[in-house]
Amino acid sequence: MAFLELDGLTRRFGALVAVDQVSMRVEQGEVRAVIGPNGAGKSTLFNLINGVLPASEGEVRFDGRRLNGLSAFEICQLGMSRTFQITALFPEMTARDNARLAAQARLGGRWRPFGGGAVFAEAERRADAALERLGLGHVAGEVAGYLSHGDQRLLEVAMALAQRPRLMLLDEPTQGLSVEETGKAVETLTELLSDGKLTVLLVEHDMEVVFRLAQRITVLHRGAVIADGTPDEVKADANVQSAYLGGFE
Amino acid sequence: MRGWIILLAVVVVLAAAPLGLPLFMMTLLTEALILGLMAMSLDLMVGYTRLVSFGHAAAYGLGAYSAGYILLHSDTPVLFAVFIAAAMTGIVAIAAAWVFTLATGVSFAMLTLAFAQLLYAIAFQWQQVTGGSDGLAGIPRRGGPFGFDLLTSKIGYYYLVLLCLFGAYLFCRTLVNSPFGAVLRGIRENENKTRALGYNTRAYKIGVVAIAYALGGLAGALYAPFAGFTNTELLFWLFSGQALIMVIVGGAGTLIGPILGAALFLLAQHQLSSVTETWAIYFGLMFIAVVLFLPEGIWGTLMQRLGRKTQRV
Repeated sequence: MAFLELDGLTRRFGALVAVDQVSMRVEQGEVRAVIGPNGAGKSTLFNLINGVLPASEGEVRFDGRRLNGLSAFEICQLGMSRTFQITALFPEMTARDNARLAAQARLGGRWRPFGGGAVFAEAERRADAALERLGLGHVAGEVAGYLSHGDQRLLEVAMALAQRPRLMLLDEPTQGLSVEETGKAVETLTELLSDGKLTVLLVEHDMEVVFRLAQRITVLHRGAVIADGTPDEVKADANVQSAYLGGFE
Repeated sequence: MRGWIILLAVVVVLAAAPLGLPLFMMTLLTEALILGLMAMSLDLMVGYTRLVSFGHAAAYGLGAYSAGYILLHSDTPVLFAVFIAAAMTGIVAIAAAWVFTLATGVSFAMLTLAFAQLLYAIAFQWQQVTGGSDGLAGIPRRGGPFGFDLLTSKIGYYYLVLLCLFGAYLFCRTLVNSPFGAVLRGIRENENKTRALGYNTRAYKIGVVAIAYALGGLAGALYAPFAGFTNTELLFWLFSGQALIMVIVGGAGTLIGPILGAALFLLAQHQLSSVTETWAIYFGLMFIAVVLFLPEGIWGTLMQRLGRKTQRV
């Protein structure tokens, strides 16, 4: 049994089949990328996995547990943290407070209506460690809304990391970044993912990023899986070349 | 630390007020503190969670009618009646908030208004309990327990109101600085993200609405034996709007600001209404001026100027 298993996952919006019979196995410690052209259903797939959208058919199993019918916050509490394609932060809070609120969600006293010194201290410890790992230590005290776009993207990853997730879903972490910013972000992410302790499912547009970060790649086209394998296998796949990579190399 | 000293000084001055002020001023001050408690409770929703309510009169009226009914139909001392009424309001609010939180944004605000208007209609119709359009009259400030009759006098009752407001303020301050309060700020800034981080945001919203209504109910419950009567105006949408204005004028998200806003509102009503019948127009102009030039409200702007960022998280 794999760590994350998708079985015949399908989502229809009216007549449109956004995600079509997607099955996938992700092992613990794996960095898996999901690629595909615009509108291939990548973000919808993420929304199905973490419970933002209900599936029309099929199921998701996470560490042996069936996730159907659980809401997004319950799935997150099982240890699945995600980032969004369009940056989702608390813009008026500092970077540290953003990460701290993320870390607090996984602590026992997260809802306490009084005191909470110990909760805050532990959350802050986890938050600072996560910010440090993403190279954001120097901007921890800055208001998140004023950070550069690149730092905001990394802050979202830091927030996910501060939750000490068992599975991280990263939705296009380099979305909308300039060339230099992408380079810096990819370096930071490569370093983060290289120790093999994190299990990551990654949606990415930028092929260079994907081939550097991922050990395995799943290719979506019009909502369906057309290829699945190592970066070299996927590059060599004829289906992929005609559907997607055409002219890439 | 400095903040606590100032707070203590204000409480001492308020506690000494009966020594220097004539009785009619004490009446005005008591009402200001009651309204302040009402506005502060609304601030938990509007300022800290960005749950805009157009129906906070529901909390006030429910507390007032509950306390009035208890005091008229039982031997309960006023000291207990106000807290029982506040608790009842909070419990009703849990059910109401369960419905409110099916919606967000403007629809949420409309549901709070609908709930208040529903209570308004009930207060009109349910003659035996609410007295209909006459309301409840002759509500006593009953002493007790054990012959404790300090609260029966106007000055004694003032101290009860002062203690309730002070206690409620400390409670709210603790709440907004707690882990729970941090989640409320998360909901205020980005509810979807807060949910994605693993917080059951709806439960937090129901929680804060119940607390805000319980404290608003306490304010209403203090008002009924203070005025000696209740009427349907306490549940009317106009009063809900006024409460929202108090919060915004004073400064949403500051707790202190709404108390000041309430005092200012009452003062304006009292002073201007003796000069002109159209006093509400002048207060309205002031409201517009505050929204345009002091968007953080009077207290919020003052705090910003002083450069004191008191907010955590």
